[in-house]
Amino acid sequence: MTKTTHPLLKVLMYLLLIAGAVFMVFPFIWMLSTSLKTVGAISQMPPQLIPNPLNWDNYVTIWNKVDFGRYTLNSFFIVSIEMVGSLVSSAFVAFGLAMFTFRLRGLIYMIMLATLMIPSQVTMIPTYFIWKEFGALNSYYPLIVPSFLGGAFGIFLMHQFIKSLPKELYESATIDGCSPPGIFFKIYLPLCKPALAALGVFTFMGAWNNTLGPLIYLQDKELYTLPLGLLYLKSENVNQALLMAGAVITTLPVVIVYLFAQKQFVQGIASTGMKG
Amino acid sequence: MATSRIRIPAPLTKGRCVMQKQGYWGYIFTLPFVINVVVFLLFPILFSTYISFTEWDLFNPPRWIGLDNWVRVLNKHEFWVSIRNVFVFALIFVPIQTLMAFVIAFMLNQAIRAKGLFRLFYFLPVVTPWIAGGVVWVWMFNYQYGVINWVLESVGLAPVKWIDSSHWLMVISSIAIVQVWKGVGQSMIMILAGMQNVPKEVLEASQIDGANGWKQLTKVVFPMVTPMVYLVMILSTISAFQAFDVFLGLFGSITTGIPERNMVPNLLVYRDAFLLFKMGPASATAWLLFVIILSFTLFQKYFEKKWVHYD
Repeated sequence: MTKTTHPLLKVLMYLLLIAGAVFMVFPFIWMLSTSLKTVGAISQMPPQLIPNPLNWDNYVTIWNKVDFGRYTLNSFFIVSIEMVGSLVSSAFVAFGLAMFTFRLRGLIYMIMLATLMIPSQVTMIPTYFIWKEFGALNSYYPLIVPSFLGGAFGIFLMHQFIKSLPKELYESATIDGCSPPGIFFKIYLPLCKPALAALGVFTFMGAWNNTLGPLIYLQDKELYTLPLGLLYLKSENVNQALLMAGAVITTLPVVIVYLFAQKQFVQGIASTGMKG
Repeated sequence: MATSRIRIPAPLTKGRCVMQKQGYWGYIFTLPFVINVVVFLLFPILFSTYISFTEWDLFNPPRWIGLDNWVRVLNKHEFWVSIRNVFVFALIFVPIQTLMAFVIAFMLNQAIRAKGLFRLFYFLPVVTPWIAGGVVWVWMFNYQYGVINWVLESVGLAPVKWIDSSHWLMVISSIAIVQVWKGVGQSMIMILAGMQNVPKEVLEASQIDGANGWKQLTKVVFPMVTPMVYLVMILSTISAFQAFDVFLGLFGSITTGIPERNMVPNLLVYRDAFLLFKMGPASATAWLLFVIILSFTLFQKYFEKKWVHYD
């Protein structure tokens, strides 16, 4: 098919792809460009793409005004705990569903699929109430504890994967005197790496970009995550250059992670469709 | 190697017995999820249904008021406005996103240079936090100083009021554009994965049979990726109906209130519950939204047979 592509068609494809790429990337360029402008240059018409002079002070100002350093650490803290929790617990539950025959297995599996249908806004208010009764409002517990209980999507993903591993692994390990938890942690969990990478990508993106959760549960400013810090900055009506500097600071960590783990991201997304 | 090959077959049947005898381990392993379901799903579903029949501010005991919340929500103008908005939003967003994702995936599946770079660019917004994307789009949409209007003006067009427009359709369309920007990369990767699964032999065979590029696309590639296109459509429809983050990102401090004409259901739920502490109407609205999403998904499922091909 590649050989028959008409050269003119190819030019058209490149043009389309470049136009699309500009649409995707320009907001980032504009974010960066505005973040380096002086107050006068912000509203200057025609707008400058490369600001002159480059005003790095915006970053200093914003770093002093909003505790982005702390929020970055908070975000990384929550995201890492959520990732560990969701990866281990999803694989743990999936292992149970895939390896053992027990009476309620079918029922649990069905409930797991059904939970994928229930939207979070229905359960949001009672969940908030639960955490309020536990006295856990204004803490990280509502954000991280549920991830240790296994999510339906993660369990489904891991279950598909564990099922594809040879059962003989389990049997020979039993003969060697290994207990089921030992078998899980020592043999199966390490073997699940490809599926864990895919699930890790989703957990990372979900946790890092989660705004609603932190918004309703966290009140103290010291506890804020990066997106919440930016939301706070937005409500302060600062000038666009400062706001964009905040946006750059909020975006940078996740973009760096993405650049390093690009392969995992793409494969993770691609694998979601494969199960269907 | 040889020893293990001898060892495995013998305990095979014994192993199966062990697994069945160890059935209780199944309960132990699935316990975390069972707790999850009971505490964070079963109880919330029941409780949320109950709340929708009460007047409750989260702090004082709930008071049973029967169907009042439901009647009130259904009689409110803003509820129907929010439903209209979210339907129009989905109608604009889902087709654009799906078509764009398909076209880009198709092009990236050809012999194109810099594939990795294009994929990187298209996927970048997917990982970007909503608030960061939101603030920069608001800035670009700015009527006076926004870069988009500047481009329009420099090619001789009149500037446009985007998200500050007094017409809801303009606002909803602008928001849909931002949602496409954020989501098209993910849909594209999924469809591309589907395309890469189309066997080379099938494509070659169709070429020998004289199918040109266009025919090959419509008669061979498209039918084979319909399951993935369908999945992408279902997922983006659900995300459109649940739209919240895009509004939060664009309008930010919701406390100041978004005009009624630009409302969507999830914003109503959030506002009623966490800003006004009216848990009753919030729960009723949430359930109504759930019913709408469910019926829309079933509606799409009904038409699935007509165009989606599995093998």
